[in-house]
Amino acid sequence: MTRPTKRAAFESPVDLVRPVGYDPDMPRPAAISAGAALVMLRVLAGFLWLMALAFNWDVIANDVEIALGDVKLTDGAKTVGLAAILIVGGTATLAEGVLAVLIYRGMNWARVIVMVYAVASISAAFTTWWVGGQDIRIDTTLLTLSLDILVLLALSSRQAAAYAHRRHLP
Amino acid sequence: MERSASRGRRRRYSIGVALDWFFFVFAGLASIWLAYLGFTETFRVGWWGIPFGILFWVVLAYLLLPRLHRILTTIYVPDYFIGRTRTSDGLLGDPVNLAFRGAADEIETALSASGWRRADPVTLGSSWRIITSTLTRRSYDEAPVSPLFLFGRQQDFAYQQEVDGNPAQRHHVRFWKCPDGWLLPGGTRVDWLAAGTFDTAVGLSLFTLQVTHRIDADTDIERDHIVGSLVAAEPAIRIDVIKDFSSGYHARNGGGDSIRTDGDLPIVDVSFVPAGVSAAPAASADPAGIAPGGAS
Repeated sequence: MTRPTKRAAFESPVDLVRPVGYDPDMPRPAAISAGAALVMLRVLAGFLWLMALAFNWDVIANDVEIALGDVKLTDGAKTVGLAAILIVGGTATLAEGVLAVLIYRGMNWARVIVMVYAVASISAAFTTWWVGGQDIRIDTTLLTLSLDILVLLALSSRQAAAYAHRRHLP
Repeated sequence: MERSASRGRRRRYSIGVALDWFFFVFAGLASIWLAYLGFTETFRVGWWGIPFGILFWVVLAYLLLPRLHRILTTIYVPDYFIGRTRTSDGLLGDPVNLAFRGAADEIETALSASGWRRADPVTLGSSWRIITSTLTRRSYDEAPVSPLFLFGRQQDFAYQQEVDGNPAQRHHVRFWKCPDGWLLPGGTRVDWLAAGTFDTAVGLSLFTLQVTHRIDADTDIERDHIVGSLVAAEPAIRIDVIKDFSSGYHARNGGGDSIRTDGDLPIVDVSFVPAGVSAAPAASADPAGIAPGGAS
Protein backbone atom coordinates (compact mmCIF):
# COMPACT_ATOMS: atom_id res chain seq x y z
CA MET A 1 0.00 0.00 0.00
CA THR A 2 1.35 3.39 -0.91
CA ARG A 3 1.38 6.09 1.67
CA PRO A 4 -0.43 9.25 0.64
CA THR A 5 2.10 12.01 0.12
CA LYS A 6 1.46 15.38 1.63
CA ARG A 7 1.04 18.22 -0.82
CA ALA A 8 3.68 20.93 -0.67
CA ALA A 9 2.60 24.03 1.23
CA PHE A 10 3.79 26.28 -1.60
CA GLU A 11 3.25 26.23 -5.32
CA SER A 12 6.38 25.13 -7.12
CA PRO A 13 7.95 27.80 -9.32
CA VAL A 14 8.49 25.03 -11.91
CA ASP A 15 4.73 25.21 -12.56
CA LEU A 16 5.26 28.68 -13.98
CA VAL A 17 7.50 27.38 -16.76
CA ARG A 18 5.42 24.33 -17.64
CA PRO A 19 5.20 23.89 -21.43
CA VAL A 20 2.07 25.50 -22.83
CA GLY A 21 -0.69 23.51 -24.47
CA TYR A 22 -0.46 22.02 -27.96
CA ASP A 23 -3.14 23.69 -30.07
CA PRO A 24 -2.26 23.79 -33.80
CA ASP A 25 -5.70 25.11 -34.81
CA MET A 26 -5.50 28.17 -32.57
CA PRO A 27 -6.83 31.25 -34.40
CA ARG A 28 -4.33 34.09 -34.79
CA PRO A 29 -4.66 36.41 -31.75
CA ALA A 30 -4.83 40.18 -32.12
CA ALA A 31 -1.49 40.51 -30.28
CA ILE A 32 0.34 38.70 -33.11
CA SER A 33 -1.28 40.82 -35.83
CA ALA A 34 -0.61 44.02 -33.87
CA GLY A 35 2.99 42.97 -33.15
CA ALA A 36 3.68 42.17 -36.83
CA ALA A 37 2.08 45.49 -37.88
CA LEU A 38 4.24 47.41 -35.37
CA VAL A 39 7.39 45.70 -36.66
CA MET A 40 6.32 46.73 -40.18
CA LEU A 41 5.97 50.32 -38.92
CA ARG A 42 9.55 50.09 -37.66
CA VAL A 43 10.63 48.86 -41.09
CA LEU A 44 8.90 51.85 -42.66
CA ALA A 45 10.58 54.19 -40.17
CA GLY A 46 13.92 52.57 -40.98
CA PHE A 47 13.54 53.21 -44.73
CA LEU A 48 12.45 56.82 -44.09
CA TRP A 49 15.54 57.29 -41.91
CA LEU A 50 17.81 55.87 -44.65
CA MET A 51 16.19 58.15 -47.25
CA ALA A 52 16.64 61.19 -45.02
CA LEU A 53 20.29 60.19 -44.55
CA ALA A 54 20.87 59.90 -48.31
CA PHE A 55 19.28 63.29 -49.04
CA ASN A 56 21.29 65.09 -46.32
CA TRP A 57 24.48 63.18 -46.94
CA ASP A 58 26.62 66.24 -47.78
CA VAL A 59 25.77 67.96 -44.51
CA ILE A 60 26.36 64.80 -42.50
CA ALA A 61 29.67 64.13 -44.25
CA ASN A 62 30.82 67.66 -43.37
CA ASP A 63 29.93 67.01 -39.72
CA VAL A 64 31.96 63.82 -39.86
CA GLU A 65 34.94 65.68 -41.31
CA ILE A 66 34.79 68.23 -38.48
CA ALA A 67 34.39 65.48 -35.89
CA LEU A 68 37.46 63.71 -37.26
CA GLY A 69 39.52 66.88 -36.85
CA ASP A 70 39.13 68.60 -40.24
CA VAL A 71 40.16 65.58 -42.29
CA LYS A 72 39.13 66.16 -45.90
CA LEU A 73 37.23 63.17 -47.32
CA THR A 74 37.38 62.67 -51.07
CA ASP A 75 34.13 62.52 -53.05
CA GLY A 76 34.80 58.87 -53.76
CA ALA A 77 35.17 58.06 -50.06
CA LYS A 78 31.89 59.88 -49.34
CA THR A 79 30.03 57.88 -51.98
CA VAL A 80 31.49 54.60 -50.78
CA GLY A 81 30.56 55.48 -47.19
CA LEU A 82 26.98 56.31 -48.16
CA ALA A 83 26.67 53.14 -50.23
CA ALA A 84 27.99 51.01 -47.36
CA ILE A 85 25.54 52.53 -44.88
CA LEU A 86 22.62 52.17 -47.32
CA ILE A 87 23.47 48.54 -48.12
CA VAL A 88 23.96 47.48 -44.50
CA GLY A 89 20.98 49.48 -43.22
CA GLY A 90 18.76 48.44 -46.11
CA THR A 91 19.59 44.76 -45.64
CA ALA A 92 18.92 44.93 -41.90
CA THR A 93 15.63 46.73 -42.49
CA LEU A 94 14.58 44.25 -45.17
CA ALA A 95 15.46 41.37 -42.83
CA GLU A 96 13.24 42.94 -40.17
CA GLY A 97 10.42 43.07 -42.72
CA VAL A 98 10.87 39.35 -43.40
CA LEU A 99 10.79 38.72 -39.63
CA ALA A 100 7.50 40.62 -39.41
CA VAL A 101 5.97 38.28 -41.99
CA LEU A 102 7.33 35.22 -40.15
CA ILE A 103 5.93 36.52 -36.85
CA TYR A 104 2.56 36.94 -38.52
CA ARG A 105 2.75 33.31 -39.63
CA GLY A 106 3.55 32.27 -36.05
CA MET A 107 7.28 31.43 -36.14
CA ASN A 108 8.59 31.45 -32.60
CA TRP A 109 12.28 32.09 -33.42
CA ALA A 110 11.39 35.20 -35.45
CA ARG A 111 9.40 36.50 -32.48
CA VAL A 112 12.31 35.82 -30.11
CA ILE A 113 14.86 37.55 -32.40
CA VAL A 114 12.71 40.68 -32.65
CA MET A 115 12.16 40.69 -28.89
CA VAL A 116 15.89 40.32 -28.16
CA TYR A 117 16.54 43.26 -30.52
CA ALA A 118 13.82 45.32 -28.80
CA VAL A 119 15.24 44.54 -25.33
CA ALA A 120 18.74 45.60 -26.47
CA SER A 121 17.50 48.81 -28.05
CA ILE A 122 15.29 49.73 -25.05
CA SER A 123 18.17 49.00 -22.63
CA ALA A 124 20.53 51.19 -24.66
CA ALA A 125 18.01 54.06 -24.72
CA PHE A 126 17.38 53.67 -21.00
CA THR A 127 21.11 53.74 -20.21
CA THR A 128 21.75 56.95 -22.17
CA TRP A 129 18.66 58.51 -20.56
CA TRP A 130 19.47 57.47 -16.99
CA VAL A 131 23.26 57.86 -17.04
CA GLY A 132 23.80 60.39 -19.84
CA GLY A 133 20.70 62.44 -19.10
CA GLN A 134 19.72 62.45 -22.78
CA ASP A 135 16.28 63.95 -23.40
CA ILE A 136 13.75 61.56 -24.87
CA ARG A 137 11.13 63.72 -26.56
CA ILE A 138 8.52 63.34 -29.21
CA ASP A 139 10.76 65.22 -31.67
CA THR A 140 13.79 63.05 -30.87
CA THR A 141 13.65 59.36 -30.00
CA LEU A 142 10.32 58.94 -28.18
CA LEU A 143 8.58 57.62 -31.31
CA THR A 144 11.05 54.84 -32.09
CA LEU A 145 11.38 53.99 -28.39
CA SER A 146 7.62 53.67 -27.95
CA LEU A 147 7.47 51.51 -31.10
CA ASP A 148 10.11 49.22 -29.55
CA ILE A 149 8.22 48.99 -26.25
CA LEU A 150 4.88 48.39 -27.98
CA VAL A 151 6.45 45.65 -30.14
CA LEU A 152 7.84 44.00 -27.02
CA LEU A 153 4.51 44.30 -25.15
CA ALA A 154 2.54 42.78 -28.04
CA LEU A 155 4.94 39.95 -28.83
CA SER A 156 5.58 38.97 -25.20
CA SER A 157 1.88 38.75 -24.34
CA ARG A 158 0.52 35.36 -23.30
CA GLN A 159 -1.71 35.11 -26.38
CA ALA A 160 1.21 35.82 -28.72
CA ALA A 161 3.40 33.29 -26.89
CA ALA A 162 0.68 30.63 -26.98
CA TYR A 163 0.25 31.18 -30.73
CA ALA A 164 3.98 30.94 -31.39
CA HIS A 165 4.18 27.72 -29.33
CA ARG A 166 0.96 26.24 -30.73
CA ARG A 167 2.72 23.42 -32.64
CA HIS A 168 5.24 22.58 -29.90
CA LEU A 169 4.41 19.26 -28.26
CA PRO A 170 4.71 19.50 -24.48
CA MET B 1 -0.46 2.07 -18.55
CA GLU B 2 1.43 3.15 -21.65
CA ARG B 3 -0.27 6.50 -21.47
CA SER B 4 0.82 7.15 -17.88
CA ALA B 5 4.37 6.09 -18.73
CA SER B 6 4.59 8.61 -21.55
CA ARG B 7 3.17 11.21 -19.23
CA GLY B 8 5.94 10.55 -16.73
CA ARG B 9 8.57 11.32 -19.37
CA ARG B 10 6.90 14.54 -20.38
CA ARG B 11 9.09 17.56 -19.73
CA ARG B 12 8.02 19.51 -16.68
CA TYR B 13 9.60 22.78 -17.76
CA SER B 14 10.40 24.59 -20.98
CA ILE B 15 13.29 26.98 -21.62
CA GLY B 16 11.14 28.79 -24.18
CA VAL B 17 8.45 29.51 -21.60
CA ALA B 18 11.06 30.74 -19.10
CA LEU B 19 12.43 33.06 -21.80
CA ASP B 20 8.89 34.26 -22.48
CA TRP B 21 8.52 35.17 -18.80
CA PHE B 22 11.69 37.26 -19.00
CA PHE B 23 10.33 39.20 -21.98
CA PHE B 24 6.91 39.45 -20.30
CA VAL B 25 8.35 41.08 -17.15
CA PHE B 26 10.86 43.20 -19.09
CA ALA B 27 8.06 44.58 -21.26
CA GLY B 28 6.10 45.40 -18.09
CA LEU B 29 9.03 47.39 -16.67
CA ALA B 30 9.65 49.10 -20.03
CA SER B 31 6.00 50.16 -20.19
CA ILE B 32 6.33 51.80 -16.75
CA TRP B 33 9.13 53.90 -18.24
CA LEU B 34 7.06 54.64 -21.36
CA ALA B 35 4.14 55.77 -19.18
CA TYR B 36 6.50 58.04 -17.21
CA LEU B 37 7.98 59.54 -20.39
CA GLY B 38 4.49 60.05 -21.82
CA PHE B 39 3.33 61.69 -18.58
CA THR B 40 6.21 64.19 -18.42
CA GLU B 41 5.88 64.90 -22.15
CA THR B 42 2.19 65.74 -21.58
CA PHE B 43 3.16 68.81 -19.54
CA ARG B 44 5.91 69.93 -21.91
CA VAL B 45 3.97 70.29 -25.14
CA GLY B 46 1.21 72.74 -24.16
CA TRP B 47 -2.14 72.17 -25.85
CA TRP B 48 -0.77 69.08 -27.55
CA GLY B 49 -0.81 67.70 -24.01
CA ILE B 50 -4.49 66.78 -24.37
CA PRO B 51 -4.04 64.06 -27.04
CA PHE B 52 -0.85 63.08 -25.21
CA GLY B 53 -2.81 62.72 -21.98
CA ILE B 54 -5.32 60.44 -23.72
CA LEU B 55 -2.43 58.40 -25.14
CA PHE B 56 -0.92 58.19 -21.65
CA TRP B 57 -4.23 56.86 -20.29
CA VAL B 58 -4.45 54.23 -23.06
CA VAL B 59 -0.90 53.04 -22.34
CA LEU B 60 -1.57 53.00 -18.59
CA ALA B 61 -4.99 51.33 -18.59
CA TYR B 62 -4.69 48.93 -21.49
CA LEU B 63 -0.99 48.02 -21.57
CA LEU B 64 0.79 48.79 -18.30
CA LEU B 65 -1.75 47.96 -15.57
CA PRO B 66 -2.91 44.67 -17.19
CA ARG B 67 0.73 43.58 -17.47
CA LEU B 68 1.49 44.47 -13.84
CA HIS B 69 -1.74 42.81 -12.64
CA ARG B 70 -0.86 39.69 -14.64
CA ILE B 71 2.60 39.47 -13.07
CA LEU B 72 1.40 40.14 -9.51
CA THR B 73 -1.71 37.91 -9.63
CA THR B 74 0.41 35.04 -10.95
CA ILE B 75 2.28 35.33 -7.68
CA TYR B 76 -0.53 35.81 -5.17
CA VAL B 77 -3.87 34.56 -6.55
CA PRO B 78 -4.31 30.79 -6.03
CA ASP B 79 -4.77 28.81 -9.22
CA TYR B 80 -7.13 26.18 -7.78
CA PHE B 81 -10.93 26.50 -7.51
CA ILE B 82 -11.96 29.15 -4.98
CA GLY B 83 -15.46 29.82 -6.30
CA ARG B 84 -14.37 32.85 -8.30
CA THR B 85 -13.57 33.32 -11.96
CA ARG B 86 -10.52 35.33 -13.03
CA THR B 87 -10.28 38.10 -15.60
CA SER B 88 -7.76 37.96 -18.43
CA ASP B 89 -5.42 40.03 -16.21
CA GLY B 90 -5.65 37.35 -13.51
CA LEU B 91 -7.77 39.49 -11.16
CA LEU B 92 -10.70 37.91 -9.34
CA GLY B 93 -13.78 38.20 -11.54
CA ASP B 94 -17.47 37.34 -11.20
CA PRO B 95 -18.39 34.72 -8.57
CA VAL B 96 -19.26 31.19 -9.70
CA ASN B 97 -22.89 31.01 -8.60
CA LEU B 98 -24.48 28.19 -10.64
CA ALA B 99 -23.74 24.56 -11.41
CA PHE B 100 -25.28 22.42 -14.15
CA ARG B 101 -25.66 18.71 -14.84
CA GLY B 102 -26.18 17.64 -18.42
CA ALA B 103 -24.61 17.91 -21.86
CA ALA B 104 -23.74 21.20 -23.57
CA ASP B 105 -26.54 20.92 -26.14
CA GLU B 106 -29.08 20.16 -23.40
CA ILE B 107 -28.07 23.31 -21.52
CA GLU B 108 -28.13 25.38 -24.72
CA THR B 109 -31.56 24.03 -25.68
CA ALA B 110 -32.95 24.86 -22.24
CA LEU B 111 -31.48 28.37 -22.36
CA SER B 112 -32.72 29.24 -25.84
CA ALA B 113 -36.12 27.87 -24.88
CA SER B 114 -36.28 30.35 -21.99
CA GLY B 115 -35.43 33.46 -23.97
CA TRP B 116 -31.62 33.53 -23.73
CA ARG B 117 -29.40 34.27 -26.74
CA ARG B 118 -25.93 32.86 -27.29
CA ALA B 119 -23.27 35.60 -27.19
CA ASP B 120 -21.10 36.13 -30.28
CA PRO B 121 -17.36 35.47 -29.87
CA VAL B 122 -15.21 38.55 -29.29
CA THR B 123 -13.87 39.66 -32.67
CA LEU B 124 -12.99 43.06 -34.14
CA GLY B 125 -16.37 43.17 -35.89
CA SER B 126 -18.47 42.19 -32.88
CA SER B 127 -16.51 44.55 -30.58
CA TRP B 128 -17.10 47.42 -32.97
CA ARG B 129 -20.79 46.53 -33.19
CA ILE B 130 -21.24 46.52 -29.39
CA ILE B 131 -19.60 49.97 -29.15
CA THR B 132 -21.76 51.51 -31.89
CA SER B 133 -24.97 49.88 -30.70
CA THR B 134 -24.33 51.03 -27.10
CA LEU B 135 -23.67 54.61 -28.23
CA THR B 136 -26.64 54.73 -30.60
CA ARG B 137 -28.83 52.67 -28.22
CA ARG B 138 -29.59 50.10 -30.88
CA SER B 139 -30.38 46.50 -30.05
CA TYR B 140 -27.65 43.83 -30.26
CA ASP B 141 -29.02 40.83 -28.46
CA GLU B 142 -26.06 38.57 -29.29
CA ALA B 143 -23.44 41.04 -28.07
CA PRO B 144 -20.14 39.39 -27.06
CA VAL B 145 -19.17 39.07 -23.41
CA SER B 146 -15.64 39.62 -22.15
CA PRO B 147 -13.57 36.50 -21.45
CA LEU B 148 -13.41 35.23 -17.88
CA PHE B 149 -11.28 32.29 -16.84
CA LEU B 150 -11.96 29.20 -14.72
CA PHE B 151 -9.82 26.05 -14.58
CA GLY B 152 -7.31 28.15 -16.56
CA ARG B 153 -9.68 28.28 -19.53
CA GLN B 154 -11.87 30.93 -21.10
CA GLN B 155 -15.63 30.26 -20.88
CA ASP B 156 -16.88 27.60 -23.29
CA PHE B 157 -19.95 29.64 -24.18
CA ALA B 158 -22.05 32.47 -22.79
CA TYR B 159 -25.71 33.40 -22.98
CA GLN B 160 -27.39 36.72 -22.46
CA GLN B 161 -30.65 38.63 -22.40
CA GLU B 162 -30.66 42.24 -23.47
CA VAL B 163 -32.74 44.73 -21.49
CA ASP B 164 -34.65 47.55 -23.25
CA GLY B 165 -32.95 46.89 -26.59
CA ASN B 166 -29.60 48.38 -25.55
CA PRO B 167 -26.47 46.33 -24.91
CA ALA B 168 -25.45 48.58 -22.00
CA GLN B 169 -27.77 46.64 -19.69
CA ARG B 170 -28.06 42.89 -19.91
CA HIS B 171 -28.37 39.62 -18.07
CA HIS B 172 -25.51 37.31 -18.87
CA VAL B 173 -24.14 33.95 -17.80
CA ARG B 174 -20.89 32.22 -18.74
CA PHE B 175 -20.32 28.44 -18.74
CA TRP B 176 -17.25 26.29 -18.13
CA LYS B 177 -17.05 22.52 -18.54
CA CYS B 178 -15.58 20.94 -15.42
CA PRO B 179 -12.47 18.79 -15.97
CA ASP B 180 -13.13 15.03 -16.10
CA GLY B 181 -13.60 13.53 -12.66
CA TRP B 182 -13.55 16.94 -10.99
CA LEU B 183 -15.69 17.33 -7.85
CA LEU B 184 -16.90 20.50 -6.16
CA PRO B 185 -15.36 21.21 -2.76
CA GLY B 186 -17.43 18.93 -0.54
CA GLY B 187 -17.52 16.13 -3.11
CA THR B 188 -20.57 16.92 -5.26
CA ARG B 189 -20.22 15.99 -8.93
CA VAL B 190 -21.39 18.54 -11.50
CA ASP B 191 -20.69 18.80 -15.23
CA TRP B 192 -20.65 22.55 -15.69
CA LEU B 193 -20.05 25.63 -13.61
CA ALA B 194 -21.52 29.00 -14.50
CA ALA B 195 -21.19 32.62 -13.42
CA GLY B 196 -24.20 34.87 -13.94
CA THR B 197 -24.21 38.62 -13.33
CA PHE B 198 -26.31 41.57 -14.42
CA ASP B 199 -24.60 44.39 -16.34
CA THR B 200 -26.09 47.67 -15.14
CA ALA B 201 -24.23 50.23 -17.24
CA VAL B 202 -21.05 50.94 -19.15
CA GLY B 203 -18.58 52.90 -17.04
CA LEU B 204 -14.99 53.50 -16.08
CA SER B 205 -13.54 50.91 -13.74
CA LEU B 206 -11.66 52.43 -10.81
CA PHE B 207 -9.41 49.39 -10.51
CA THR B 208 -8.21 48.95 -14.05
CA LEU B 209 -9.10 52.46 -15.41
CA GLN B 210 -10.65 50.68 -18.39
CA VAL B 211 -14.08 51.28 -19.88
CA THR B 212 -16.14 48.25 -18.92
CA HIS B 213 -19.57 47.01 -17.89
CA ARG B 214 -20.46 47.66 -14.23
CA ILE B 215 -22.31 44.75 -12.64
CA ASP B 216 -25.16 44.76 -10.14
CA ALA B 217 -23.81 44.12 -6.66
CA ASP B 218 -26.54 41.66 -5.67
CA THR B 219 -25.47 38.68 -7.76
CA ASP B 220 -28.07 36.47 -6.04
CA ILE B 221 -30.88 38.26 -7.90
CA GLU B 222 -29.28 37.39 -11.23
CA ARG B 223 -28.61 33.81 -10.13
CA ASP B 224 -32.26 33.34 -9.14
CA HIS B 225 -33.40 35.04 -12.36
CA ILE B 226 -31.45 32.52 -14.47
CA VAL B 227 -32.80 29.56 -12.51
CA GLY B 228 -36.33 31.02 -12.51
CA SER B 229 -36.38 31.63 -16.27
CA LEU B 230 -35.16 28.08 -16.96
CA VAL B 231 -37.75 26.46 -14.71
CA ALA B 232 -40.54 28.66 -16.06
CA ALA B 233 -39.86 27.49 -19.62
CA GLU B 234 -39.22 23.82 -18.79
CA PRO B 235 -40.77 22.50 -15.56
CA ALA B 236 -38.95 19.16 -15.97
CA ILE B 237 -35.67 20.85 -14.96
CA ARG B 238 -34.64 19.77 -11.47
CA ILE B 239 -32.99 22.17 -9.05
CA ASP B 240 -30.90 21.10 -6.05
CA VAL B 241 -29.42 23.82 -3.91
CA ILE B 242 -26.22 23.47 -1.91
CA LYS B 243 -26.95 25.80 0.98
CA ASP B 244 -24.05 28.01 2.11
CA PHE B 245 -21.72 26.53 -0.52
CA SER B 246 -19.52 29.56 -0.02
CA SER B 247 -20.20 31.42 3.18
CA GLY B 248 -22.03 34.65 2.47
CA TYR B 249 -19.57 37.36 1.59
CA HIS B 250 -18.98 40.84 0.29
CA ALA B 251 -16.18 41.29 -2.18
CA ARG B 252 -15.20 43.13 -5.30
CA ASN B 253 -14.73 41.76 -8.79
CA GLY B 254 -11.86 42.52 -11.14
CA GLY B 255 -13.49 45.75 -12.29
CA GLY B 256 -13.78 47.07 -8.74
CA ASP B 257 -17.56 46.54 -8.52
CA SER B 258 -18.75 45.30 -5.17
CA ILE B 259 -20.56 41.97 -5.08
CA ARG B 260 -22.46 40.23 -2.31
CA THR B 261 -24.07 36.83 -2.09
CA ASP B 262 -25.70 34.55 0.46
CA GLY B 263 -23.39 31.76 -0.75
CA ASP B 264 -26.02 29.26 -1.99
CA LEU B 265 -25.15 27.26 -5.12
CA PRO B 266 -28.12 25.94 -7.15
CA ILE B 267 -27.41 22.82 -9.21
CA VAL B 268 -29.56 22.86 -12.34
CA ASP B 269 -30.14 19.38 -13.77
CA VAL B 270 -31.14 19.60 -17.43
CA SER B 271 -30.28 16.00 -18.27
CA PHE B 272 -33.95 14.93 -17.97
CA VAL B 273 -35.08 17.49 -20.50
CA PRO B 274 -35.84 15.84 -23.86
CA ALA B 275 -33.49 17.79 -26.14
CA GLY B 276 -35.09 19.66 -29.01
CA VAL B 277 -38.69 18.79 -28.06
CA SER B 278 -39.54 21.69 -25.80
CA ALA B 279 -37.43 24.25 -27.64
CA ALA B 280 -39.72 25.10 -30.53
CA PRO B 281 -42.96 26.13 -28.76
CA ALA B 282 -41.33 27.80 -25.78
CA ALA B 283 -38.94 29.87 -27.92
CA SER B 284 -41.89 31.74 -29.33
CA ALA B 285 -43.14 32.58 -25.83
CA ASP B 286 -43.69 36.24 -25.04
CA PRO B 287 -40.22 37.78 -24.60
CA ALA B 288 -41.79 40.65 -22.66
CA GLY B 289 -41.90 38.28 -19.70
CA ILE B 290 -38.18 38.83 -19.38
CA ALA B 291 -38.15 42.33 -18.01
CA PRO B 292 -35.49 44.10 -15.96
CA GLY B 293 -35.94 43.13 -12.36
CA GLY B 294 -38.11 40.26 -13.49
CA ALA B 295 -36.00 37.95 -11.37
CA SER B 296 -37.95 35.50 -9.29
